[in-house]
Amino acid sequence: MQKGYVIKRILYTIFIFFIVVTLNFFIPRIGVEDPAERYYPPQGNMTDVEYDIVKQLTREQYGFDVSTFQQYIRYLNDLFHGDLGTSFQAGSPKVADLIASRIPWTLVLSVSTLLIGLFLGLLIGSYAAWKRGQRVDTAVLNASTITTALPAFFIALLLSLYLGFEWELFPAYTDPNMVASFDWSWRSISLVASSAALPIISMAIGSVVSYAQNTRNSVIAVSNEDFILTARAKGLPSRQVLYKHTLRNAMLPIVTNLGMSVSGLIGGSVVIEQIFNWNGMGTLFLNANNTNDYPLMMGIMLFLSLFALAANLVTDLCYCLLDPRVTVGGSR
Amino acid sequence: MTDKTMLKVENLKVIFPNAAGVVRAVEGVDLTVREGECVAIVGESGSGKSVTSLAVMKLLNSPPAVTRVDTLEFDGRDLRQATEKEMLDIRGKEMAMIFQDALTALNPVMTIGHQLDEVFIRHQHMKKKEAKQASILALRLVGVPSPERRYSDFPHELSGGMRQRVLIAMAFACNPKLIIADEPTTALDVTIQAQVLDVLKNMQREHSTSLILITHDLSVVAHMADTVYVMYCGRIVEKAPLKELFHRPLHPYTEGLLAAVPRLSEENHQFIQIPDAVPNPMHKPAGCTFHPRCRYCTQQCRDKMPPLQDMGDGRQVRCWHPLGGPNLTEDALQDGSVGKEAGRYE
Amino acid sequence: MKRFFSRLGSALWDALKGIGRFVAKLWAHPKGRIGLIIAGLLVICAVFAPPIAPYAPYDVTPRAEKGLSPSWAHPLGTTITTGQDIFSMLIYGTRVSLVVGITTGLATAFLGALMGVLTGYVGGFVDMLVMRIVDIMLVIPTLPLTIVLTNLFGKSYFMIIFIFTLFGWTGLARVVRSQVLVLKNSNYVRAAELAGAKRSHIMFRHILPGVSHLLIMSTALTSAGIMVAEAGLSFLGLGDPTAISWGKMLADAQSGGALLFGHWWWIMAPGIGIFLSVFAFMRIGLAMEEIFNPRMKQSSGLYKLFKNLNNTYLQEVFDSMEEDRLEEKVKPEPTEEREPAGVS
Repeated sequence: MQKGYVIKRILYTIFIFFIVVTLNFFIPRIGVEDPAERYYPPQGNMTDVEYDIVKQLTREQYGFDVSTFQQYIRYLNDLFHGDLGTSFQAGSPKVADLIASRIPWTLVLSVSTLLIGLFLGLLIGSYAAWKRGQRVDTAVLNASTITTALPAFFIALLLSLYLGFEWELFPAYTDPNMVASFDWSWRSISLVASSAALPIISMAIGSVVSYAQNTRNSVIAVSNEDFILTARAKGLPSRQVLYKHTLRNAMLPIVTNLGMSVSGLIGGSVVIEQIFNWNGMGTLFLNANNTNDYPLMMGIMLFLSLFALAANLVTDLCYCLLDPRVTVGGSR
Repeated sequence: MTDKTMLKVENLKVIFPNAAGVVRAVEGVDLTVREGECVAIVGESGSGKSVTSLAVMKLLNSPPAVTRVDTLEFDGRDLRQATEKEMLDIRGKEMAMIFQDALTALNPVMTIGHQLDEVFIRHQHMKKKEAKQASILALRLVGVPSPERRYSDFPHELSGGMRQRVLIAMAFACNPKLIIADEPTTALDVTIQAQVLDVLKNMQREHSTSLILITHDLSVVAHMADTVYVMYCGRIVEKAPLKELFHRPLHPYTEGLLAAVPRLSEENHQFIQIPDAVPNPMHKPAGCTFHPRCRYCTQQCRDKMPPLQDMGDGRQVRCWHPLGGPNLTEDALQDGSVGKEAGRYE
Repeated sequence: MKRFFSRLGSALWDALKGIGRFVAKLWAHPKGRIGLIIAGLLVICAVFAPPIAPYAPYDVTPRAEKGLSPSWAHPLGTTITTGQDIFSMLIYGTRVSLVVGITTGLATAFLGALMGVLTGYVGGFVDMLVMRIVDIMLVIPTLPLTIVLTNLFGKSYFMIIFIFTLFGWTGLARVVRSQVLVLKNSNYVRAAELAGAKRSHIMFRHILPGVSHLLIMSTALTSAGIMVAEAGLSFLGLGDPTAISWGKMLADAQSGGALLFGHWWWIMAPGIGIFLSVFAFMRIGLAMEEIFNPRMKQSSGLYKLFKNLNNTYLQEVFDSMEEDRLEEKVKPEPTEEREPAGVS
């Protein structure tokens, strides 16, 4: 791996992050002169004088009483110290703390979905490519056209209806006390596992099928390469050709997309969390939206962007290790 | 070179059926390679050379290919009866292949050392460490400088000539009886070409390996081959020992190929080309497949495919009207048409 | 600038004429035909919703008829909460799905083409700038941003279309850009440049037609993707609260107790609606891909062909190659009648 490439890549990530932060700062300020009006919109029963006082208080509380540029500098400074602002919620909790308390629960869902998707997807996909044109293969192709047309939340509702309510295999709703009472005891863990089953399955179905299809296409594309013929001409058994030569090359494009899919999964779990009443980032965000809690909403947005950036950076650098052809500037 | 036959192929046919029809890639090819002999198969792209070589190694996938062959004997063994498992032991060990473009023929994410090791581990059952020693030695033999360091290089870190040497080392790794080299120097610069060909030739001589050299480059043929097969549209159109072929081609196609090579020695030499292109393999012309491009074409050529005719001295030609020469039929000798062709390209 | 737009107009007109030809091609393609038929039916449902739907979908007056199971009077039953006819709601829901999907698909194709041609053909600074913007947009999570923006500017389908277009063009732009780079170096574009044609002329007359098939393909595939996304947003209650959409129907079903009472038809109806519309547009898009890029065609066809290969037919083919071997006895004719013909 070239040092120059790594440094360049990290600097570029920082540059993009800076722009995202700036956007994040300005988005709640679009369309209003005074951000206090957005943070505390006029209520019906308030006189102008009263509202002016409220606005003044809001300004002081959220630091809107200085120029926008100073606010921006302060925002950057706070961010640098890990402060994402203060939520509107009762007790004025810090946004960063709220996120930190929720992120593990969302990661439980998205990471297990990703792992299941990757594991089964790679397995099924390479098997389908191996049995190209046979029944397994056509099944994978047909499944992919069907599951991409079925939204995950519809699958979730069906699972909830049948597996949850009708057959009572898994809880259709998450116990609201699950998060608060979690204590690493065996009972707690099994409760989390059973409650997570339906959300994970409903997200994993699409994930498995799409990884399977990508793997299949990738494996077939690689198996037409010249070096596979070389490997076969060496007398290597076809299984060894598949494991040592085909799969390793077929993995490359899938690894490239891994970073994007992790962050996509976290963003996409909003609807699933809502259906199963799962106490993750998604419900936190939707609640913030319902209560117009802008600091919290923007904090989550920023966190997700940062997560996506970091995930991209990590996969890019991993890719660098996997594919020796990557040189400075990322050209192959 | 000995008289022992290393490879004998009779009536090899390969077709590729598809939705639109059938591509007739190889239509009945006979091929004999003796021990230590270098046989060149010459032809334009699309003439079925590469498919022939893959079919010999039984590397053609079905689908898409369908293969028929009357005889496929290698070192006295009938490969037609060989199972895939037996073929795995033959490939790489007794019969190896060198491909055209070494950049794509080597796995890009694996060091060349690792790729060489695989051959030794697979066929000589070496341990990883022994294999590394063997690989370094193999690299040294083909003239790769500082092979210990190159061992852990990736294919893209080597120059084209070095990569091709790696492929040659890989092919000679288990000292096989037959090597098929498919356009081994086409992707290289001319100066590097000569170096790589020398390596190939020396390796072949030292190991007295049989070599099938597939190329469209007649200068490569002149450099390397003992016997030359000229292929056109999936058939052998002429077979001859190297010198005879160059001195007196019997088939108009061979004549055209030779004339297309510019020579400095001949003054006022006009650059001769064979008109048109190789016909579409799905719609080959009736009769002799070469007739639309042949300047000596007659009605007979349009109607019937000529057989591959023995002309003595180990020469064979597939033409109704072979070009003049001492081996021509008696009738032709008597009527004095021999020699009339002399100078017709001036 | 005026010229630019008139050129743009004529290019769009050409695209429209092209669409007619594409529809004919699609009809000839089995996958495309299924897509066209389903999409056609959906369009009919959307346009003629009032006469097709047996009840007024918003009608909440028949309070006695709450939570009915499917029957002849109510083919898909009624809602538990308000007693609305589910079948009528399903028919009306087609409108939102198709309008949002197709509008966004078209707008995305337009923006993607513009950006792709600009970056590919003009290159340089513009290219760099746009690629940086793409990098930024890839990082920002689309769904949360949509939620924030609908919160700021009100819930409406216009907002949804706007945001999805704003974030949806990047993939297409990249594909168009690489295609444009190929076209840019083609001989006919070079020739036009040497002949002194203006840049805008080359862009709209020579380069845009070369990427038009990509645009039509992308319109279909984007529309399909947006239909899923729209359903998700409506499900979260971020669509127009007064409109009837399939996503909102699903949300009502969930909150209205369809799961609890096992009213599967209330969930299935909008779900199948979403599935059919997305499926139809995806089929159209994939069929286009196969028509314009035959190499994309799945190799499974070849395997099917091989399974059904007729052995006697193969034998005939192989035997036909024996033509010359059967007549091994024939001697080559004397060479006297040989006459040089053709090239000299």
